[in-house]
Amino acid sequence: MAYEIKLNEEVHQIEMWAKEGNLADIKIDNRHYTVDIVEVEHGVYSILLDGISYNVELLPTENKKYLVNTLYNAFDVEIIDAETKYKNSRKSAEAEDSNYISTPMPGKVVKILVNEGDRVKGGDTVIIVSAMKMESEYKVVKDRLITKILVKEGDNIDGHQPLIMLE
Amino acid sequence: MIKKILVANRGEIAVRIMRSCREMGIKSVAVFSEADRHSMHVRFADEAYCIGPAPSAESYLVIDNIIEVARRSGADAIHPGYGFLSENAAFSERCEKEGIIFIGPSAYAIDTMGDKITARKKMQTANVPVVPGTTEPITDLKEAVRVIMEIGLPVMVKASAGGGGKGMRLVKKEEDILSSVSAARSEAKAAFGNDAVYIEKYINSPHHIEFQIVADKHGNCVHLFERECSVQRRHQKVVEETPSPIMTEAVRQEMGAHAVAAAKAVNYSGAGTIEFIVDDNLNYYFLEMNTRLQVEHPITERVVGVDLVKIQIDIANGKELPFKQEDLKQHGHAIEVRIYAEDPDNNFMPSPGMIKHITEPLGLGVRHDGYVYAGYEIPIYYDPMISKLIVWAQTRQEAIDRMRRALHAYKITGIKTSIPFLNRIMEVPAFVEGKYNTHFIQDHEEQLKPKENASQRLKDVAAITAFFDYMSKIENTKKSKYCKRPVSNWKNYGRATNLKKL
Repeated sequence: MAYEIKLNEEVHQIEMWAKEGNLADIKIDNRHYTVDIVEVEHGVYSILLDGISYNVELLPTENKKYLVNTLYNAFDVEIIDAETKYKNSRKSAEAEDSNYISTPMPGKVVKILVNEGDRVKGGDTVIIVSAMKMESEYKVVKDRLITKILVKEGDNIDGHQPLIMLE
Repeated sequence: MIKKILVANRGEIAVRIMRSCREMGIKSVAVFSEADRHSMHVRFADEAYCIGPAPSAESYLVIDNIIEVARRSGADAIHPGYGFLSENAAFSERCEKEGIIFIGPSAYAIDTMGDKITARKKMQTANVPVVPGTTEPITDLKEAVRVIMEIGLPVMVKASAGGGGKGMRLVKKEEDILSSVSAARSEAKAAFGNDAVYIEKYINSPHHIEFQIVADKHGNCVHLFERECSVQRRHQKVVEETPSPIMTEAVRQEMGAHAVAAAKAVNYSGAGTIEFIVDDNLNYYFLEMNTRLQVEHPITERVVGVDLVKIQIDIANGKELPFKQEDLKQHGHAIEVRIYAEDPDNNFMPSPGMIKHITEPLGLGVRHDGYVYAGYEIPIYYDPMISKLIVWAQTRQEAIDRMRRALHAYKITGIKTSIPFLNRIMEVPAFVEGKYNTHFIQDHEEQLKPKENASQRLKDVAAITAFFDYMSKIENTKKSKYCKRPVSNWKNYGRATNLKKL
């Protein structure tokens, strides 16, 4: 069965033709590779391709999504199976998701600069979050209405957690 | 003689201090916050005691709690490391009062050098050159603006009690004066509880070069040469090396003598660092003195061949320095890089989290001072530095090659780190040629960006790996659902023998 794979912004067709132990025949678009691939340590793969040795680290970020690190490069990779395809097609049909401000990492809310019901201009800072002694300001991109504030100053927060709802 | 040392710190420096203690046959006592029960220094020490909740203001900065542990454990000395209470005069004084040896300078030296304005005045009287600027702390906003206009832009606004780049602002344009001064003051207030600032002339294309000094309690003081720390991001050091690629022997001797004079001016004892700002023509000005062990001390240790923590402990024991200035030489070249838990490709956003896997670099000329391990979760409460990688080689070029090699071998998964960024620094021609100043990172932003031109083959390898992993997982879930578990002969044998026993 062929899958689609999204590498950064490019989408490719990918298919496993054969797999025998640590040898795999994989076709990407019309390129055909025979690789010797072994998970040598948890999350670290050693790949031999035409005698050339690659070390690749995999960091699963979400379901079916990976951050892939090679020696000098990092790629965001997503496996698109039938389920994801279906979800994506539904998502685009629906209206845009409700928007919120969140942070990419866990931390602590230092200051909330807005109140519920405020109208803010694009570029305004709405919340300041600290992690590891660094304070980061989070701004809105466009003019927005603050509909709901879900956290208090001093709260510990997780990464990707909704903090402030916008409209 | 000191028999047991309480290390009032965490992270890599706590571990590093305990290593020297162990070599000297001294017992070590760790203190830890509730967030640090799993931290390496707790496991590494001979004894460990909890001193309070996660935020450092409620644990690592609480003098009473640390003194209490020292009493309870019978520690006769306290090593403060760097950061936290290392430059806190009240702590040094309290230790003295309690009859515990503080491995560091006197409260007087910390106080004098810790307040940048007092330090400036002291240096002027000791004939050490200083940067033009204010000599009185400024607490009034209007006054600050007046002084800035008087000195002339660009200027640097600094927290009077500051350090480590906190409460520091560069002002280039007139319209930024008000906002920058307020920001520096509020940061200073938050970080140090004191919003006094001072203002000094900003030097274009500056180099940051510091001198390591050690002084005993018998009036002997020597310097252990320079460290070049100009590769900085937001005033935080990223790469340090020694010797400095721009230094000449004549200037080195002159600066070293001034560094010793600076230390003597405050009757300094222990290890300390005199920071200078140096322009392209090797004119240098006293910047500040750090009255503690520096993060980057290992490069000096490697090139001069000393253990600075051991020397600190010997000095605290009242011993005389084991060497004179003329005994000391620089041998070869050392470079240190700091590995932070941050995402260099996303505006250096902090990246706390769980270390899934770590491979530390080894081999000739490589030293790794760290504290994390696979399965360790980096807490959000403290500094993002996870380790320091130090290399040594005969020549600077070889040291750079070795650093590249070591960085390639250094793998941390689970969190993002600055390793790829450090790798790119080692490739930038200006760095390789040794022609850089504190604007290096800013000036070479383009060259320090991740290389986008990955070959099709490399992209495919990345895709194949992720795809293979995904397919293997699917296969494994199917297996566990539909297949029997593999038969273990050992288990069967065990069952059979157990059955016989019945």
